This record gives sequence, structure tokens and C-alpha cells, in this order.
Amino acid sequence: MALQDLILTLSRFWSERGCLLQQPLDVEVGAGTMHPETFLRVIGPRHWNVAYVQPSRRPADGRFGENPNRLFKHHQFQVILKPSPDAAQRLYLDSLEACGIDPTRHDVRFEEDNWESPTLGAWGIGWQVLLDGLEITQFTYFQQAGGMDLAPISVELTYGLERIAMHLQGVDDVYDLDWAPGVSYREVRHREEVEQSKYAFGQVDLPAGEFGRTHRDLFDRYYRLGEQLLASGLTLPALDHCLKCSHTFNLLDASGSIGVTERAAYILRVRKLAVAIAEAHAEWERSQLSDGGAGAAATGGVDG
Amino acid sequence: MSMEYRELLLEIGCEEMPASWIPGIEAQLADRLTARLNEMRIAHRTPVRTFVAPRRLVATVAELAERQSDLEETVTGPPVRAAFDANGEPTRAALGFARKQGVDVSDLARVQTPKGEYLACHRRQAGGDTRSVLGGVLAATLRDLAFPKAMRWDATLEDGRGEFPFGRPVRWLLLLYGSRVVPFEIGRTQGAEASGVAPVRAGSVTYGHRFFGGDGNPREPIEVTSFADYRDRLEKACVLIDREDRRARVTRELEDRANEVSGRLAPLDQQSALHAEVPDLVEHPAVVTGTFPGEFLALPDEVLSTTMVHHQHYFPVVDEQGRLSAHFLAVTNTPGDDPARGARIAGNSERVLVARLRDARFFWDADRTQRLDDRLGRLDTLLFHKRLGSYRDKSERVAELAERIAGDVLGQSTAVAAAARRAAALCKADLATDMVGEFPELQGVMGGVYAREQGEPEAVWKAIYHHYLPIGVGADDPPSRDALGEAAASWAAVALADKADTVVGLFGAGEKPTGSRDPLGIRRQAQGMLRILLDLPELTGMEARVSVGQLLRPARNMHAKDDDEWSKVYWALDRKWKDGRSVVGIEEDTGINPQRVEDLLDEHQSEVRQFKAKDGWTGFALKSRPVDFLLERLRYLLEERGFDRRNVRAVTHQPLDEIRPLDARRKLEVLPEFTETSDFQTLATLFKRVRNIARELPDGSSWNETVLTEPAEVALRDELTTRRSVIDAAVETGAGFRAAFAEAARIGPAVDRFFNDVFVMADDLKLRNARLGLMQRVEQVILQLADVSEIVPETSS
Repeated sequence: MALQDLILTLSRFWSERGCLLQQPLDVEVGAGTMHPETFLRVIGPRHWNVAYVQPSRRPADGRFGENPNRLFKHHQFQVILKPSPDAAQRLYLDSLEACGIDPTRHDVRFEEDNWESPTLGAWGIGWQVLLDGLEITQFTYFQQAGGMDLAPISVELTYGLERIAMHLQGVDDVYDLDWAPGVSYREVRHREEVEQSKYAFGQVDLPAGEFGRTHRDLFDRYYRLGEQLLASGLTLPALDHCLKCSHTFNLLDASGSIGVTERAAYILRVRKLAVAIAEAHAEWERSQLSDGGAGAAATGGVDG
Repeated sequence: MSMEYRELLLEIGCEEMPASWIPGIEAQLADRLTARLNEMRIAHRTPVRTFVAPRRLVATVAELAERQSDLEETVTGPPVRAAFDANGEPTRAALGFARKQGVDVSDLARVQTPKGEYLACHRRQAGGDTRSVLGGVLAATLRDLAFPKAMRWDATLEDGRGEFPFGRPVRWLLLLYGSRVVPFEIGRTQGAEASGVAPVRAGSVTYGHRFFGGDGNPREPIEVTSFADYRDRLEKACVLIDREDRRARVTRELEDRANEVSGRLAPLDQQSALHAEVPDLVEHPAVVTGTFPGEFLALPDEVLSTTMVHHQHYFPVVDEQGRLSAHFLAVTNTPGDDPARGARIAGNSERVLVARLRDARFFWDADRTQRLDDRLGRLDTLLFHKRLGSYRDKSERVAELAERIAGDVLGQSTAVAAAARRAAALCKADLATDMVGEFPELQGVMGGVYAREQGEPEAVWKAIYHHYLPIGVGADDPPSRDALGEAAASWAAVALADKADTVVGLFGAGEKPTGSRDPLGIRRQAQGMLRILLDLPELTGMEARVSVGQLLRPARNMHAKDDDEWSKVYWALDRKWKDGRSVVGIEEDTGINPQRVEDLLDEHQSEVRQFKAKDGWTGFALKSRPVDFLLERLRYLLEERGFDRRNVRAVTHQPLDEIRPLDARRKLEVLPEFTETSDFQTLATLFKRVRNIARELPDGSSWNETVLTEPAEVALRDELTTRRSVIDAAVETGAGFRAAFAEAARIGPAVDRFFNDVFVMADDLKLRNARLGLMQRVEQVILQLADVSEIVPETSS
């Protein structure tokens, strides 16, 4: 099954089970969790079921296109079910079967792995799903976002698309994957990995220290603008800029431009803005309800 | 009416519980259910048995009474003398009591109590049907279970407490009493009301293995009638509910598989944790054998093992020579009945492992292109603690400290001291390597390996390799003599220096463990440090009897050396035993002017206790001192080794700085031989009196033994002169404590006779002082060994 068929299969599977199909966030993020369809939708009482692909940039994982398993940018298939249905695990396993993974032919396990994002003030309880020892999915019951207790509880499924595709296609090198029949992952993405890795690790023709300075400056500008947007009541643009800060910080980190002490301070700053955004969104949710929205499910419940 | 007993069977079907919780939950469930049954007066002739597997918490009682026992209680009312007036009529107190109990005064009984005779009401309440109260028992038991981290899952219980967090979501409930379902329900919150969310209602069914249960359809419920039936059906459905069954199967299969490839399980420490965990990761274990390309065997064993054990939960296999082989064993959650499936899983596991090994090899190659020395610059950016600087700063402190400890404290040659200094300077450099970035559990070990690779001598690289150990009380044992080789002395110096620096530094920075909170692991560090001192000869062959102060003093100086004025004041306050310190005294110790000292004390008032000294000056002392903390840790360590609590106190009575842990241990090893002898008990019993009386001797008074003439006092003086040389010698050399305690015990009868025959507080000042002086000498001689008054036999204390 080609990578794009995997995406189609998962999209169809979840669409048929009541999920709205969203599109990726058009801002650089490290994970699908940062998309407002997750980070903001899990807050408040309104029910919501959604699925989307999220290209996820992890500058520190860039390997110049030379490592068969690590990527500057990988792809997640993200599902949010709110509230989490009783059959969440079963639905997930059905989705694997739909992709051609028969659990009775393998060793499929749910091993404890609680997820936490210090920058988003978010955490959850759950597992990594292992397929013959390979982590293919993070399965999380969200407990908090933006430092707030959540109710009802959402379940988040984050599929690692490249890994699942590699398993399905039986290849050991991600670049050998078929993205589409006859078109390899290498053809689609290799050049991007090389160039983005060079960028992420600061291999740029700039005077010494200039790379770091530029990105610190970018961080500060995004941050100030983010605060300003939030103060102006523009929560979603504020989140965009908060995420830009997060990504810029990741670039600074990967390129070795910041020490550990400073690192913690950056994380704290992003978190502060993210928490303020989450709170503003919670406030907006409350105002919607009191305006007569009555918390009706925007999409239907998900049956087992 | 005779009581009928029936079987109770409970299964809480849940999503996968973390493996590390399972042993604890199994014990808790038995404990809590037993307590709740007792509380509800439901008798059980057989104990509560519990079993936990990843997807189920199971409890059963073979014989549980079908009715609660009757409640019989006696409620005590007013005293009889207050219950009736002079005419024998009931008073308001008696009437009120009777009314409250719902009976006539004439129905009240009288009971005798230690306080006199009281009115009482005997009440008897018939027990209810067990079936009708089991729901309450279950609800209370569920609430009782404490998980390391509970989660909210939109659930509620109708016990008046509302939301019901649990370890993992509950998906089914099996609750049978006498083979009939007992009604029970876990409700769901209003906010989660949706078509796929429903209450969990108790029923008579269970579910088998997630993938291999049932006849072709693991989602089919399995109807059960009794525990035996349940256990049997689940075993057929590929679930072993008993951890011991799973563990035995794991052990057997691991051995078999290792034999098949002519190997055996690698004897690694980490594997004991893996052995404990693996049976709780699966409901039905089956082991498969995988193989990785031999080229990866060029990686250090530590990296191979960590990748397999830590990251993939695989067991490494060694060959006949004990060398790591290219095989590994993976415990799967499958029936193990299909060779094709086994081969498929093994093949896939190999690919995952190889990908990780390839990464590790990349780090291994990259890290070795730079010497550890060249990584020290990067440590500047790694913060150890905001008030104690970077890891670079820490390495520099530890290097100086390790050199001093090796030379001054352990009495080693300058060559050894130099090796210790070198090892300490490099010991944190691996924090800046990619390998430790990827495998943090290899810190120290990797530094040692890289030091070896760059040609450092054994005394250096092994000291780095092992410097984190030992940690805590039992786990993470110190390295063996064999493993240390040439590095025994340098390792001890570096390990002690690193830990002393951490403990002293963090305390000074206001980080102290409180109750169960010890986020920086200071307790474990302190215990590690004390363990090295306690076992120094066995660990290193060195006989140094190091006092705690010999370690702490240089560590304190190292921290006080900074420009941080408060840390100077802090250590000045810590140094003083019991008494606090005046502002003037602090000035003397630190050279900081009094006004500034007062400001600093004011600034840190949360850490400082202020008091009025006897002579009228204002004293300051630390509220919580490292010395108290360390003394408590030392006593704890010794008690953990099985030494009697009173004996431990007796040999650790000195100010902490003066205690030599090794001496304390050696005294404790022989002390039990004496504590039961009558001579020793005589001494112990009288010793408090000796100490109290000795205190009467005014400071600075002189006294002359020659005025002692009474036979009992002369005998005591002579006894003391005879005995003390052996005692003094033992205390001096740290050897011969058995003989010393024997001599000390013999002084006991002479002290007894002295107290019987001699009146100490004679009017004649010279005579009195001589007698008091004799008491003081007895005190001094014995105290060097132990404060034996702590060992007074329990009956006479």
C-alpha cells in the first residue's frame, strides 16, 4: 500500500465513522497536536470528531537525507474523538485492519507512554502502540490542555504514517517507500530533507553567530506580535504566532544556538503564551454556550 | 440459623494497565477488599485472592457469608450516679439518653467501667443480605485503589462522590455472587453523553485475549459461572490471570530459546527489572528469537544492552564464553502456537532493533571524533542548579574535591590523587555527547567508555565509568572490587566528591527533601555517599576510617569559596552542633560585617530559626540542617542492614562530623554479643546516672584522685585504669571493638558498687570534685565507644 493510499484509507475509515476531515495547519509545527483542531477543540464541552494529516517538522531529527529512519519532516495522521468513545481502542485496531494490518498475524501491544507537551501545558494518559516492537501510534486520553482540566475527555490517535507505510511495504529505508505507485519517497522528499537539515543545523552562509541572532530576533518578534494579537482578541492568529515561536525555538535548539539554561526559559515563554491562548479560547467557548449554542455536537457521536 | 457461604467473583475489565503498577494493585485490591468486607461485617471463611493482568483486576472469595453478621454494640450513657436523683427517679440525663436510643429507661443496662458504673444500651441490629450491600463494598473498594497516576475518563460512581478517576478506563465488569450477577454500575458524566459512551454495568461475562481469545472472535463475550470456570475459560481464551504462571512461562521459554541458539541469558543487572516487568506487559507470554547482523557487535556492550533491554524490552543472549551474541529474545503477547507468526514477529523486531543500533553506531562514531576534554566547554551551557552554576562549575569543584579526598582523606599517593582529579574533571563530559543525549541512562558509563577509547588509564576511565554508583539503599549497588581494578581508590574519591558536592550544594541552595518529596534525589545521593564510607575496606581495600566531617568540610569550603555571602553564613550555621551562632560569632567565622550578616539572616528568615541563648544573646540556627539529614540517613542505612535501632543510636551519638561510619558499623557488628550480658546491662542502666552526675562537675575545676579512699571508689578508679587502655586502643585504631566492649562491660559492676557505697556529693569540695571527676572519666571512656544508655534493656527503660 503506497503512502498516499494509506492516507486515503485512514481518511475514508474515519470519515465513515463520523469524523470531519480537516486539512493540515499551514504553519510549521512539530506535531498534529498543535493544530487548533486538536489544541483548541479539546477544550470546552462541545463534542467534536475530526481527522487530518499533519506534516510535522522536528529540526533536531534532520539527518540530511542520510538516515533511513529519521526525518526533519514526517507525517502524522491525527484523529480527535471528543468525547472518547468506549470502543476507542477497538476502533483504532479496526483502522489498522483496514490498512491491511491483521493483529492476529503480529504482536500488537499497548504499552504505557504518557504524553506531555511542556510548551502547550498539555498532557495525557495513554500508550504507544507497538507493532512487533515498532512504535506506530501514540494513543492518548487528553487530561489537560493549556493547563486546564478537560471535560469531556478527548482521545487523540497519532499515527506515524512513514513507519506504518514502511511496515506495510516491507522496506528498511524510508526513502525507498512508494509515495504513489511508481513514485518513491526519495523523489518526493529527499531534496527537502537535505536542504531543511542544512538549514536546521545552521549550515547557512552567514557570519558567525548571525544565524542564532536572526532566529532569536524572529522569535522575539513573533512573540510580541502573538501577545499583541491575543490582546486584540484574535486568538487563532495569536496561536499561529505562538507556534511560529515554538518552531523558531526548535531551530535555535537544533542548531546549538542556545544553552540548556536558556532553553528552559524559552520553553517557559512559549508555554505562557500558549496557556493564555488556551484560556482565551475557553472564554470564547463559554460565551458561545451562553449565547445559546447549548453545546450541541458539531459532529455526531462515534459508535463502536 | 446457620450461615450459608457462597463464592464472590469480581473482574474489573480495563484497558491496558502499566506493567509497573500491576504487583502493587494486586496487593492493594486484596487489602482494600478485605478491609471493606470486614467493615461491612461480611464474614469470609477463605481469604480474598486477587490476580491482575494488563486488562483485568480480579478478586475472588471462595466462601463469603450470605448475610452480614449482626451488629451488637453497647452505647454508654451517663454515669449511674448522675442518672437517678435522691428518690431513685431518672434524671434528665437518663431520660435524654434513653430517648436518643429509642428505649425506656427501664430497658437500659448498667456497665462497669474504670471510671465507675454507667448506664448503657445494648443494641442488636440484624445483618442484611450480602447481595444487597456488595455494591457499596465494590464502590468503596474501587475508590480505595490508589494509582501512581489516575486518569479522568468521564466516569462517575453513585456513592455521593461524583467523578470517578481510575488507572485506566473500565470497559466491563464481571460481578457474581453465588453465580448470580450483583447489580452495579459505573455511570458516565453528563458532558460525555454521546452515542458511543455508555455506563458500565456488571454482568456475568468476561473477555479473553485481545486478539487470540474466543473461537475466532476475541470480541465475543465469554459467559462464566464460577471462579474455577472463569479461570479455565480464560486460559483457553489465551489469558493467564496469575502473574506467577506468566512469569514461570516467560522464564521457561527464555531458557529454552537461549538453549536453541547455544547461549544463555546475559547476566545483566538491568535484566532483573526486565524480568519483573515483562510478565505484566502481556496476558499470554511467548518468546521469539531474533538475530541482528554481527557487525553491530563492535559496539560497546553497554550500548548493545541498553538498546535491547531499555528501549526494546528484549533479552540479550551471551555465548558460552559469556560474550554478547547477535541473538536476542523478545517476549510477545501471543499464544506462541504458530511458527510462521513467530518468525514474522522476530523478523520485524530485528528491523526495529537494527534501526536503533544503526543510530547508536552513528553516535558512537561521531562522539569519538572529539576528546572528552574538548567537550568541557559545552558543559558551560548545561545548568546543574541555578545557584550552583553549570556542570562545568560542578566538574571543577568535584575535581578539586576528589583530589583532596584521595590525598588528605584516603591517604593515597599523589599519583592516585591526580588520577582522581583527572577522572572527576572529565566525569560529566559525556553529558555533552550524542550517545548520552540519546541514552541518558548511560551517563557516567559512556564517559568511562569514551575515556578508555581516548587512552585514559584504568584508574581514570573506570573511576568515571562507575562514579554514579552506588545510589540509594539497595538498588544500584556499588561496583565490585573486580570491576574496579586499578580504579578502586580513584573511584571512591570521585564518587564521594560528586555526591558530597551535590548534597552539600543543594542543601545550601535551599533544596531539601521534605517527606516523600525529593525531586532532585538528594536522599539517594546522601545514602550512596554514606554507603561508600561504611563499606570502604570491602569496596576498595582501603582501611581509611573516614569521618563524615572529613568529607563535608572540604565540600562546604568549596561552596563557601564562591562570592556567595549567604552560603558562607549558611555553612557557619551548619558547622555548629546543637547551639546556634550569634551575629558576632558568624562575623568571626565568615569575616562578613555584622550589619550585612543581619540583613542576610533577615533575607533568609524562612531557613533560619532565632532563639534567646541562656546568656541573653540572640542565637541563630538553621531550621533544617544537612547534618541532621545525613545523621538520619546514616541511622536509616544501618537499621536497614538489620542492626538494632537502640544500638544504632548508641554508636551514632556524636556530632555528625565526628562520626566515622565504618567504626559505627564495626561496633554494631559486635555489640549484640554484649547487650544481653548482665555486666553490660548494669553499665547501660547506670550510665545515664553517670552522665547526669558528671555534669555537676563545674567547668574548669581541677581534682585530685589521691583523695579517693573508699574501697568502692578506689576499685572503680583501678578498674577504669586497667580497662581503658584496650578501649582507647580500639577507638584509636578502629580495630578490636569486641575486646573493647568486653572491657567496658566489666566496668559495670564497679560502677554499681560505687553508686551503692559512695555518696558522691560529699560536703568536702575536694572529695566531691574527685568523685565527680571520676564519674566524668567513666563517661569519657565509655562514650568513645557508645552512648550505652541508649541500650538500656526495654523492661527497665
